[in-house]
Amino acid sequence: MNECAVLNKRLPRVDAPDKARGRAAYVDDMRLPAMLYGAILQSPFAHAKILNIDTSAAKKLPGVKAVVTAQDAGLVKYGVSPARYDETLYCHQKVRYLGDEIAAVAAVDLETALEALGLINVEYEELPAVLTVEDALAEGAPLLHEEFPGNLCAEVHQEFGNVEEAFKECDLIRTDRFVNKRQDAAFLEPHVCIADYDSSGYLTLHTSTQVPHYVMRTVAMVLGIPVGKVRVVKPYVGGGFGPKCEATPLEMSASLLSMKTGRPVKMNYSREQVFLHSRARHQFIHEMTTGVKKDGTLVALKNTCHLDGGAYTSFGIATVYYAGSLLGGPYRLPNMKYDGYRVYTNKPACGAQRGHGGVAARAAWEQQLDAIAEELGMDPVDFRLKNIMRTGDVTCNALDMSSLGMKECVEAVKERSDWVHKKGKLPRGKGIGIACGFFVSGAGYPIYRSDTYHSTVVIKLSEDGGTINVLTGSAEIGQGSDTTMAMIAAEALGVRYEDVRVISGDTDLSVDLGAYSSRQTLMTGHATKEAAEDVRKQVLEVLSRRLDYPVDAMDIKKGLISFKEGTVDFSEIRRQYIKEHRGWTDPPADDKLSFKEAARIAYLEMGTIVGTGKYKPPKLGGAYKGAAVGTSPAYGCSAQVVEVTVDLETGKVTVDNMTDAHDCGFAINKNSVEGQMEGSLSMGLGEALMEEVKFDRKGRILNANLAEYKIATALDMPNIKTIIVESHEPNGPYGAKEVGEGAIMPTIPAILNAVYDATGVRINELPLTPERVYLALKKKEET
Amino acid sequence: MDLGDASEKENTMKQLITLAVNNQEYELAVEPNLTLLDLLRYHLELTGTKKGCDEGDCGACTVIMNGKPVSSCLVLAVQANGKEILTIEGMETEEGIHPIQQAFVDNGAIQCGYCTPGMILSAKALLDRNPHPSEEEIRTAISGNLCRCTGYQKIVEAIEEASVKTSKPSPRSSQR
Amino acid sequence: MLLPKFEYHEPSTLEEACEILAELGTKARPLAGGTDLLVNMKKKIIAPRHVVSLGNLEALREIGSSNGTIRLGALTTAAEIAESEAVRKAFGALCQGASNLGSPLIRNLATIGGNLVSARPAADLPPSLMAYGGRLIIRNKGGRRTIPLENFIKGPGDTDLVSGEILTEVEIDKPPAHSGAAYMKLGTRKALEISLVNVASFIALDGQDGVITSARVVLGAVGPTPLRAPSAEKILLGEKPSDRLFEKAAQEAAGDSRPIDDFRGSAGYRRDMVAVLTRRTLAAALEEAGKR
Repeated sequence: MNECAVLNKRLPRVDAPDKARGRAAYVDDMRLPAMLYGAILQSPFAHAKILNIDTSAAKKLPGVKAVVTAQDAGLVKYGVSPARYDETLYCHQKVRYLGDEIAAVAAVDLETALEALGLINVEYEELPAVLTVEDALAEGAPLLHEEFPGNLCAEVHQEFGNVEEAFKECDLIRTDRFVNKRQDAAFLEPHVCIADYDSSGYLTLHTSTQVPHYVMRTVAMVLGIPVGKVRVVKPYVGGGFGPKCEATPLEMSASLLSMKTGRPVKMNYSREQVFLHSRARHQFIHEMTTGVKKDGTLVALKNTCHLDGGAYTSFGIATVYYAGSLLGGPYRLPNMKYDGYRVYTNKPACGAQRGHGGVAARAAWEQQLDAIAEELGMDPVDFRLKNIMRTGDVTCNALDMSSLGMKECVEAVKERSDWVHKKGKLPRGKGIGIACGFFVSGAGYPIYRSDTYHSTVVIKLSEDGGTINVLTGSAEIGQGSDTTMAMIAAEALGVRYEDVRVISGDTDLSVDLGAYSSRQTLMTGHATKEAAEDVRKQVLEVLSRRLDYPVDAMDIKKGLISFKEGTVDFSEIRRQYIKEHRGWTDPPADDKLSFKEAARIAYLEMGTIVGTGKYKPPKLGGAYKGAAVGTSPAYGCSAQVVEVTVDLETGKVTVDNMTDAHDCGFAINKNSVEGQMEGSLSMGLGEALMEEVKFDRKGRILNANLAEYKIATALDMPNIKTIIVESHEPNGPYGAKEVGEGAIMPTIPAILNAVYDATGVRINELPLTPERVYLALKKKEET
Repeated sequence: MDLGDASEKENTMKQLITLAVNNQEYELAVEPNLTLLDLLRYHLELTGTKKGCDEGDCGACTVIMNGKPVSSCLVLAVQANGKEILTIEGMETEEGIHPIQQAFVDNGAIQCGYCTPGMILSAKALLDRNPHPSEEEIRTAISGNLCRCTGYQKIVEAIEEASVKTSKPSPRSSQR
Repeated sequence: MLLPKFEYHEPSTLEEACEILAELGTKARPLAGGTDLLVNMKKKIIAPRHVVSLGNLEALREIGSSNGTIRLGALTTAAEIAESEAVRKAFGALCQGASNLGSPLIRNLATIGGNLVSARPAADLPPSLMAYGGRLIIRNKGGRRTIPLENFIKGPGDTDLVSGEILTEVEIDKPPAHSGAAYMKLGTRKALEISLVNVASFIALDGQDGVITSARVVLGAVGPTPLRAPSAEKILLGEKPSDRLFEKAAQEAAGDSRPIDDFRGSAGYRRDMVAVLTRRTLAAALEEAGKR
């Protein structure tokens, strides 16, 4: 493999200096002239009929410029997937969770807006609420949505092979039940937006989102504005992790209020409201039965899952599929049966969060596999290696592993963690555990049924050729996508990284589905590469004509033109360039022709040099129902080894170190790849040990703040050893594929397996708080 | 609500305060219920200090006040009267960005960047009083600054690198 | 989140402060570090019409000592206590409590006065202060009074202070030779934690290998106030320290605790952890006693 000029290095990110200086602008840092402030009225009840809404007093409060309810917003239903458009902007006849949106106010300042909320008089008739899957599915349970009897939001039934028959061939069959808890993504920047509806009917929405494209479409659809008149632009975003993957009532309220008042409207969620909005990780209740042969060959898996979905579907229609489909790999599994049920409950809606529906399923299964390995007397690493898939394998549910460095990842962490000297040799109270996982590199299909390209990119050269502008609707949310595109453009075009400028996150620039399902490196990367190659071709073609030299014998490297054979006289071009830049004190004097000069000449001949690129995955997946969910042009995978110390008297678990090996196909920027691995591990550790959204009996969140919803601090995280594995994905640009979500998959089960190794206790409920571990230890002692 | 009903809509008296922010003096009349964080972000337009939770749980609003790193969302603007405040904007000089900032950039310690200003200031406060911190001391110093993106790994490495680079005394980088 | 509106007062002397507080009564709250008051105001739990800042009362910031008795001004921050060499040497458990409070950012604001007057059951400073037999100096218009810390906290958010009074200092006498103390806190994560359970233990021995002549075991977060564990103390007095003795005392301490179930943890778990932390702090206290 030829070494790349720009790629596969540790270049500093394009946005890092501004962020280090505090100059990077996020939405709340922005202010527009004549800006108003908005606030949303939210339901104090988990389930209630709305009998009447009286906004008259609020409207009269001095400083209030608009008050809107369902009457003003209309009742266009929306959601994430058209198959489940089950919410309206404001509640119409009833509220379905404590926090459900009823009205919004725009006023001259936040204080007045909040005061106005207090003057909106809503008459409720409280209804009984269902707060658990069990209660929601019970006979005669109160219904959240008329169209969904039994509160069943979605159900999935899939079988590949024949599980019952296969079990008959098994020597060992084991069943386990596993449950995680509802999470929150806990990004540091709460949602915030500024909507600006101008005098020509154009709406510009500045918002902290991962998906400008989807937000644009939803806002246009719900508020009845033509798509071409809605522009969504994201500045810097302080983290997303999933919940910022859909249009929010905040964004739609600000837009509607701006339409009503003719002024820009800023709206923020408080940290508490971020919890109330949620759209974060579901609670999954898994029951899994796995059958193996006594030599450790995996034969069959029966997986049933109930998802506690909250009051609306959000991403849940995909989640309920992922909870099954993502167990098709990374082991050879010929028979798999999955039955999934997503249930409505009177709580904030759950959606997609890093790793989506695969995280809890992975945690459950990897712990079960460890238990099976133990029963067979096999080392957990050997058990996994025995069943591991290789590049070219296809899962029973038709997921094609066009590249898969799973084996390499397992061997890498085994070695780096010194597994053989530790497994079975640590004193009681200390343990080591391993797990594997994989994830899609971009969903194979967009969220709404469409033949749209998933990514389009425009590259426009500045007229003097000095800057390569990459214009993309893709979303830099902290993961480093702007840097990735800058590096890919630089590599594909042959220019210096410093000369590339990425302008992104704006629906006016290009269509891009945004930052979710770990798609941008592969998909936007492809489009960027194509656009850069288009520019390269255009410039070299002009040069070829001018110099009467074949295109194929020219190349662009590090911003300089190279000629394969002989010397080429480009002095005429240089003279022309210098003439066009009289007064400049730094004329080109290199003995090589620069890209700048070539690009300038190309502009003079052709006009603005614009290159375009686009990407759409080929038709993927099997022919069965729901086959789409889980399909992807590529899959990233991770293996992880974790060591823990368990305080046997208090149950407190400390993670002492973590080693992760992730196959990202080809690392565009090594720092970025490692950073995503490290961040994934910290989120996984938090979910394993301390994160849980808690409710009281009335459906109110008890810990809607970052003091009581506990994410890992710097003292809770150990040092992380990261290993990058490169399997060179044929479907990825330069062989690259995802890293953003694959690395979280093994984290929770590696910790669970390590805790078992330390204590002899398997715990099937998250989080592993000290109390939970203590009770499990006590129970074991008593038996 | 107890302890006196504050919903009476009388206007409260503004207070005149003087404070130095990044070595620049300001004299302002502020409402008593304005936090230092809101003063910096919305009145002085120093938006580098971030608001992550507004209730003291996340550290995104960290500033250095009279030499000590504090959560500015829990300080009233009126309490900052007569004090010296250093925000992220004050870390750089005419000569360029501070070595701690450079270390963050060089080590890939910045992803979404929202925790970054607070982290850098906590790091500065640490290195000012302890130029050769152990890893444990570094992690403790930033234990009040939550990060969801990085797992803290490269942040700790950046601060370690900065400690080597800044341990030579420099008149510009120290703050009383 | 907006703070509710209030009138702000910044008295420059203690007399002035007592005067204002007496006059305004329940309409006013004193402001020290703000880490409790401002948070509760933002959450709309309280909305005082007047806030009286103690920030200008420089006298309340002094750490002084005479004859080994240390006097901590009420405005001494948790960070200052944690970093004070004088405190660490003589009152190690207090140093441990201060170091474990919140995070470095909170410690630079939170004051010892605030931590005592806010009277949160899980607070980090009261247990060790009580274990050392701390006394509070309170100023009012009429003069001053002294009260042992354990008589001061009456319930969650409730203390012996009346309107017009200000806690000005905390006094702790130098512990005798052959004594030691320790504070331990149990939480889910390693910073920014409110204790599930915390315990401070103090023992004084009669000579190098002597018997226990004085014992104070204080339990936090397992009752409406920090609690002494009298049954545990009784078991310890007059006995030579040993693992078995400490185990017995630990079980007694668990019996003395009055934990409740709440969303952070169950009463049963807390009770069991009282025993664990009591045993561990007693062992650590013994180790320190061996060095003094």
